[in-house]
Amino acid sequence: MKKIFLIIQREFLTRVRKKTFIIGTILFPLLYLALIFGTGYIAEKTKEDLKVALIDNSGLFTQNLLTETNAGDTLNKLKLLTTDSENIIAHFDSLGYDGYMVIPQNFDWKKGVDSILINTKKSFGLGAFSPIEKKLNNAWKKIRNDSLGIDTVKEKIIAKNISLKLNNEKNKTANAGAATMIGYVCGFLMYLILLLYGSQVMMGVTEEKTNRIAEVVVSSVKPFQLMIGKIVGIGMVALTQFLIWIACIFLIYNLTKSSEASGGAASSIVGDIQRIFTTVNIPLVVGCFIFYLLGGFFFYSSLYAAIGSAINEDMREAQSLSFPITMLVIFSIALMTPAIANPSSKIAVWASIIPFSSPIVMMARIPFGVPNTVPWWQLGLSMVFLIVGFMLTTWFAARIYRTGILMYGKKPSWKEMIKWAFTK
Amino acid sequence: MNILELHNLKKYFATQKAVDDISLEIGKGKIFGLLGPNGAGKTTLIRMITGIFYPDAGEIILKGKKFDPENDAQYIGYMPEERGLYKKMKIGEQALYLAQLKGMGKQDAMHKIKDWFKRLEMESWWNKKVEDLSKGMGQKLQFVITVLHEPDLIILDEPFSGLDPINANLIKDEIYRLAQNGTTIIFSTHRMEQVEEICDHIALVNKGKKILDGTVADVKQNYKENLFSVQLEGIPSTINSASFNLVNTYKQELIVKINEGYKANDVLNYFISNESNIVSFKEILPSLNDIFIKLVEGTPTARQFETISA
Repeated sequence: MKKIFLIIQREFLTRVRKKTFIIGTILFPLLYLALIFGTGYIAEKTKEDLKVALIDNSGLFTQNLLTETNAGDTLNKLKLLTTDSENIIAHFDSLGYDGYMVIPQNFDWKKGVDSILINTKKSFGLGAFSPIEKKLNNAWKKIRNDSLGIDTVKEKIIAKNISLKLNNEKNKTANAGAATMIGYVCGFLMYLILLLYGSQVMMGVTEEKTNRIAEVVVSSVKPFQLMIGKIVGIGMVALTQFLIWIACIFLIYNLTKSSEASGGAASSIVGDIQRIFTTVNIPLVVGCFIFYLLGGFFFYSSLYAAIGSAINEDMREAQSLSFPITMLVIFSIALMTPAIANPSSKIAVWASIIPFSSPIVMMARIPFGVPNTVPWWQLGLSMVFLIVGFMLTTWFAARIYRTGILMYGKKPSWKEMIKWAFTK
Repeated sequence: MNILELHNLKKYFATQKAVDDISLEIGKGKIFGLLGPNGAGKTTLIRMITGIFYPDAGEIILKGKKFDPENDAQYIGYMPEERGLYKKMKIGEQALYLAQLKGMGKQDAMHKIKDWFKRLEMESWWNKKVEDLSKGMGQKLQFVITVLHEPDLIILDEPFSGLDPINANLIKDEIYRLAQNGTTIIFSTHRMEQVEEICDHIALVNKGKKILDGTVADVKQNYKENLFSVQLEGIPSTINSASFNLVNTYKQELIVKINEGYKANDVLNYFISNESNIVSFKEILPSLNDIFIKLVEGTPTARQFETISA
């Protein structure tokens, strides 16, 4: 036991002391935010301005009408052309148009047409012309409104909609928006931690094997002790990183509580965090996250350790052998989306109970409320299964590990590794 | 007293009988040479002695008791052929960590590491990383780590590979010093000249079996071929005697093989009676290298895969 503790200590300290850990801990949340806001920003910035020629043969579309619709969205332009249409059709690209469309002569303002062709000389994405489509429809709507004598006041009255808001009678404070957001964050964070730290375990084991330090160490400790020590040590690193992030969020929460009271300055993000803290059971979510983080980590990282022990220097071997394991993690994240959309559905319930997907899917469901969305029996069963699951994978992995760590030469196949596990 | 006894050890792998019924006895304070060609089963044998592998059959007696890998690790120091150290770890910390894994207390380990580092002039290395060391320096560090916890049995697999003569001598002297203090050393190598120089006792392993076992002097006696070197002032034009055959002639020196039933004196008598002036006369004992080659020759250089029906 003392030796396992020594190994855990070494694994933990060598990693936490590294600059990459400190930088990663600070930089990761920033990068995460940058990713979320950055992609939105880039999508906004890279939107292409389209200029489309409208050749109207019906006489319904007037210059005034188009000027009015173009004023709504200045980036994309619809330009009405009534004369010289043959020339436009023949040379529209050299005249600076991205495409042209022709309104047929028999265009009826009441019936319209099902579709109009937009002719281009380049390939465009599926949604590229949706602003133009919107413009065209706005213009047609205006034509209909004018013909029917509907003014803007009447139009506003017609456009009124009723929206449905969810009220869970059992749980008055339930906030589906906040829960969805937290569910996504938890699920993705779990996914990243499992993959990143799992592969750290794999590389750590391979490093020990190829350095031949494993042979020196297993002459003083059992291979199982070495493997468990490494897994627990790296698990502690992951936990430490997570706890630092949680501490930061609490810090932000407490600092902003007063600034919001003083009013005004608090940004909408801070406001969101404040709302989440009041509507979601944060201690429960954090507690469960720690449990599923460790459980899921032990479940997957022991398998990654087994693979690490089987391969040699070549990292490509690692990729091909770890592919099935990585697929399980990716499959779990794929199950997360339907689970969040309907956290009480059958697929959500079972995916959150079966050990391989439970860390990600259960963490996506828990913010919706325990015991309302996730009954206690489901949470308990899921936890028990996860513990049993990681005990099984650890047992299985340990048997591969003790053979693999001293075996050099050819990369074994999964079939051979399973044989190692089940022979004495 | 024997520090280590192996009784009928066996270890079969899927395609090879790596160790096939080997028994050995090694006395306390002895330097024991474990010899054998590549793939003979030396490493597998050593891995069983160090507790890395469990034998399929047979037993290991360490210090008079059945070997218990979990608790007896502290009595054994093992330096594998392929050296292994954490590249990114500081040298002082690494030595301390590995010593603690052997069961040493922190203070005790610290004290001994400092001692060894001072003796082998490694004091300035403490805060360096292994990746900063040359191969020979790494070797020295590995040796220190192996012997640090003062094991009763030290197993060295090719300890001198990569060391320059000065450092090799340094390590050699340490090995002698340890043996004098009662530490037993098993020395696995194929460098025969080192074995001849250092070892008291040897065993030769081939194809998983022990084919030779004894003191270096005994082995040489057993494998001598009755060859003698005779140096004469002038070589007679005809040499003809029933007592010996001429094997080879170099300038003033004759190599002769004494025939069955005759003695060295018969050879001397022949030359004396022929009035040749004898400058020197000595027996040629085979080198371990010759014996090794003779015994192993004829078996394929690489072991073939075979099917084992356990």
